[in-house]
Amino acid sequence: MLTTTAHLYIRRPSPTTAEFTVTTRPALTLPLRLALLSLSILRLTLFFVILFTLYTRFLTTSSLHSSPETNPLLLALASHLHTLHLSPAGQALTRLVAPIPAWLLAGISIPLLCFTVAWELHTSESLLVLRGLGIQTSTTGGFPWGSWRPATRFIPTEKIRDVLINEAFRGFEVRYYLVVVVEGEEDVVVVFPKLLPRRKIVEAVWRGVRGCLYEANDGMWYGVGKG
Amino acid sequence: MAPTYNIAMVSDFFFPQPGGVESHIYQLSTKLMDRGHKVIIITHAYDGRTGVRYLTNGLKVYHVPYFVIYRSTTFPTVFSFFPMFRNIVLRERIDIVHGHASLSNLCHEAILHARTMGLRTVFTDHSLFGFADAASILTNKLLKFSLSDVDHVICVSHTCKENTVLRASLDPLMVSVIPNAVVAENFKPYSNPAEVARHSFGQDPPPARPLGPHDTITIVVISRLFYNKGTDLLTAAIPRILENHPNTRFIIAGSGPKAIDLEQMVEQNVLQDRVEMLGSIRHEEVRDVMIRGHVYLHPSLTEAFGTVIVEAASCGLYVVCTQVGGIPEVLPSHMTVFAKPEEDDLVAATGKAIAALRANKVRTELFHEQVKSMYSWTNVAIRTERVYNGISGAISEAEFYGYDASNPASWSATRGRSGVQSFALIDRLKRYYGCGIWAGKLFCLCVIIDYLIFLFLEIWWPRGKIDICPDWPRKTVDERREPGVR
Repeated sequence: MLTTTAHLYIRRPSPTTAEFTVTTRPALTLPLRLALLSLSILRLTLFFVILFTLYTRFLTTSSLHSSPETNPLLLALASHLHTLHLSPAGQALTRLVAPIPAWLLAGISIPLLCFTVAWELHTSESLLVLRGLGIQTSTTGGFPWGSWRPATRFIPTEKIRDVLINEAFRGFEVRYYLVVVVEGEEDVVVVFPKLLPRRKIVEAVWRGVRGCLYEANDGMWYGVGKG
Repeated sequence: MAPTYNIAMVSDFFFPQPGGVESHIYQLSTKLMDRGHKVIIITHAYDGRTGVRYLTNGLKVYHVPYFVIYRSTTFPTVFSFFPMFRNIVLRERIDIVHGHASLSNLCHEAILHARTMGLRTVFTDHSLFGFADAASILTNKLLKFSLSDVDHVICVSHTCKENTVLRASLDPLMVSVIPNAVVAENFKPYSNPAEVARHSFGQDPPPARPLGPHDTITIVVISRLFYNKGTDLLTAAIPRILENHPNTRFIIAGSGPKAIDLEQMVEQNVLQDRVEMLGSIRHEEVRDVMIRGHVYLHPSLTEAFGTVIVEAASCGLYVVCTQVGGIPEVLPSHMTVFAKPEEDDLVAATGKAIAALRANKVRTELFHEQVKSMYSWTNVAIRTERVYNGISGAISEAEFYGYDASNPASWSATRGRSGVQSFALIDRLKRYYGCGIWAGKLFCLCVIIDYLIFLFLEIWWPRGKIDICPDWPRKTVDERREPGVR
């Protein structure tokens, strides 16, 4: 399939740096690349179809020539859209959406539009540990409500009181999760909040983080590979 | 090598709420862990006490977030607890589910779900109930439902056993009596006057021992002030006792809806200088209050065991109590004066106790050692462990139920050959069907739905996706040759 269950990648560019990434993306093989490419094309097509549907429904009423627009680029775009609208496919689409009330059409297509643009198939969350500097958590994927860039958070070393594994009720189950206790903050920072990987991964990351952050580097490496 | 078990204690009642059931669960769990078992506790969330917590020794407590309706019992949401319960049971690899207290819905639900999941169940009843009023009938029906399929029942006294057997229509053979116990070290009688003065709430002098003819006798009452604890009786008796015996005073600790009646009585009779009301106190303060007195008065109207009178005797107090429920079984007669649960008799019995103390006829200083030799939690844990062995087939049926009972003809049809309850759905349904004309069918329906939910959960949240908890290092017991590893 296109996604897998969350699994762990560890990168160690230098002895004092480690990046733990938990992701749902499987290893990129050729068939997977092709599938992902076709999925992107599908999404792009869907995006333009929806956009065009909105155009045929809401913007074609105003006459092309009465428009006060003088920008030649926009004029060209408008004329192209108009020809497309008058084409058989455009007419068919117009007839298809005609019986749907305007509010319903807008209500369906606008969220769908956002979805095709913003939604990411794979969720990946990472924890970057730099000895002496601090740790940085970041989350990408899913639906980035509110912000477009990956949500990152940097916690300097002197602010870190502890890194620990805790258990909590979540929905109908009890989950293990990794937390960073930050000095002077009421709430702890949950690492990998979206994926909440299983105990094996959480433990591996915990050992790795403590090894990288606190323990003297004597060649002993606590991370135990991929989860 | 004796088998060890993973045990889940389930009850609505647990710390931080104070009470007898709560401390019973805690003490029993601690002692079972000392014997190499793994114990977890499942209760509902309290204010400021939620999530997963650890107590001493690695005793793990799950405070399941649920909605509380009355006196910290959760709302009966028969099936909604199942997914969470299954998750906890699987991740902790539980073998035996041990429910406590018949008013706890969480416990009944857990027993039902545990049987559906194919686990052994034990239920401990801590209280007595009537048969007449509507609430009792409903509770009894519910109890009958959840106990139809339980493997074994433990009661805290013989009276309680009789009551439970009748209420839930159980086979008396599958009900054991294991009394409560006290931690005698926490209830030592007072040793030196300085200690009493340090813990004193008021400015009163420490209790005189031995008593002179004009020394003040202090009567202690520690109970939650509810109707069933006999607070009305107490309110009526106090003015008469104080009138009959000039050199006496009362110390009353505890709170509850009846506290206002007591306060009114004190004001009406102008007894402020002779009745001291302390309000609610913490469990660890109980001893400090007790050692200030000579007599402990326990006016309860119903009581399955009455741990508090054992605590009082352990502190070296002479006990005056009503002869109800399991109380007469608890202490030997030289430590107690019994009264009928009525005003006149309670006043007379208190008079008798005061007279006996004044005559220095009671050797209260010996009580502590005697109580210590009678009650210990280790003993309770050993006896409970035997129940676990019995229901899981580790000891033979003949050994567990007695040799007379090992005759297969005497067993009900639904019980398996080994004397343990069969898990087959059809056998379980047979047991539930006998609960009543309508109730039987309703209960069967509930069991079937529960089973279907179980199947659904197995598909939806497969076992493989649930993380297993690492065990706390287990203790080993001396009798055992090898460490208790399963």
